[in-house]
Amino acid sequence: MSLAFSEILDVTIRSLYVSGLATLLSASWSIPAAYLLSFRRRVGVLEAVVESLVGVPTVLLGLLLYMLLSSSGPLGFLKLLYTPHAIIIGQSILITPLIISTCYRALRVVAAPYLELALSMGASKSQAMMLILRESAPGVAASAVMGFSRAVGELGIAMMVGGNIRGSTMVLTTAIALGVTRGEFEAAIILGIILLALTIATAVSMKILMGVRAL
Amino acid sequence: MITIKLRGVWHRYLDASSWALKDVSIELGSDEIILVAGHNGSGKTTLLKIAALIYRPTRGEVAVDGRDFWMLEEAEKIMVRRRITYIHEKPVLMRGNVLENIMYPLRIRGLGREDAAMKAKMVMRELELMDLADKSAKELSAGQSQLVAIARALVAEPELILLDEPFAHLDSRKSGLVAQALQARMRNGVGIVIASHSRGELPEGLEPDRIIVLEDGRIRETRC
Repeated sequence: MSLAFSEILDVTIRSLYVSGLATLLSASWSIPAAYLLSFRRRVGVLEAVVESLVGVPTVLLGLLLYMLLSSSGPLGFLKLLYTPHAIIIGQSILITPLIISTCYRALRVVAAPYLELALSMGASKSQAMMLILRESAPGVAASAVMGFSRAVGELGIAMMVGGNIRGSTMVLTTAIALGVTRGEFEAAIILGIILLALTIATAVSMKILMGVRAL
Repeated sequence: MITIKLRGVWHRYLDASSWALKDVSIELGSDEIILVAGHNGSGKTTLLKIAALIYRPTRGEVAVDGRDFWMLEEAEKIMVRRRITYIHEKPVLMRGNVLENIMYPLRIRGLGREDAAMKAKMVMRELELMDLADKSAKELSAGQSQLVAIARALVAEPELILLDEPFAHLDSRKSGLVAQALQARMRNGVGIVIASHSRGELPEGLEPDRIIVLEDGRIRETRC
């Protein structure tokens, strides 16, 4: 495979773009869902279902998406298969249970006391929501970081609905898999180090941004 | 002047098997100090949170100035809630420094940062909190946190203040400061409701006009 520097950069940027967008997309529905869930008293069954979906195999989700997006599938007319968009959709679905679950845990702790505080101060519903999200911000941000780490590190979806096309849908994980298949371990290790550095850098920069001095 | 009437109020928490409040009917209003006394688990906190319009009772009516609060439109509820403040037994403080915490009720009422800071500092001087203005609220001691929570409630200039065990973490000097601040508000027509185990826990000079004794969720007696 012997990847050139420009190609390593291209794959890295694509991984960031695809998984970053997938995280943003997933967060846009997962955080509101977790917020609503944090005010429900009886969520035992729902919580168990969401938590069990956190570990859903990526190849299974990749297979389902492949069947949906293939030309003979119900969404084949969208012509999304083997495009970065297919990977973004797949990864955003994949990380939804993870973001909901971790975000819910962060919100659940602060939701009740801060809602009471907001109400006792005469806050409106939106002001109360802002307060609760502000107080749980590190936890909410951590859930997004975890979602990103899971997305950028997954292989099944990127391979099955992305197709690992050089210059188009090849991301870090699929490039590593290809390197190993071809016996090009040096390139695979370099890409692996980049992948690891990326996930650590994301977590560290998020903590710095949130002002959490736990480093 | 605000009047809150609880009529035949019963309250049970969702996962609880017993009632926290049983058939409570009382009237709370401006211009007096009311002590709600009782042992742990007698229903003091539940009663205060219902009177503070935070909890909706399972049964019964909560009327504010003659109108059923829980039947009001959302916008009206916000306006009514802004006339009352409740101070938690365990102070709930926000991220940020002490000044920002105390400014919060003013900021959500639309006051500009400078005006809010000016008003907040007036209350902070009263409670001798100026030295803590820039300190992170998460680094405060229990007593300091309680004082900040009280300052945050006072700055909103409510007509009725409900305090849940406000002196539990305060030394006698700080308790005296809070008592003075509350008395000053009462002289201006503000109603004060304090939940405490007994009258003996109130600092000197803070004489209740009425004592409501709760036992096992019911009003056992009312003394004037």
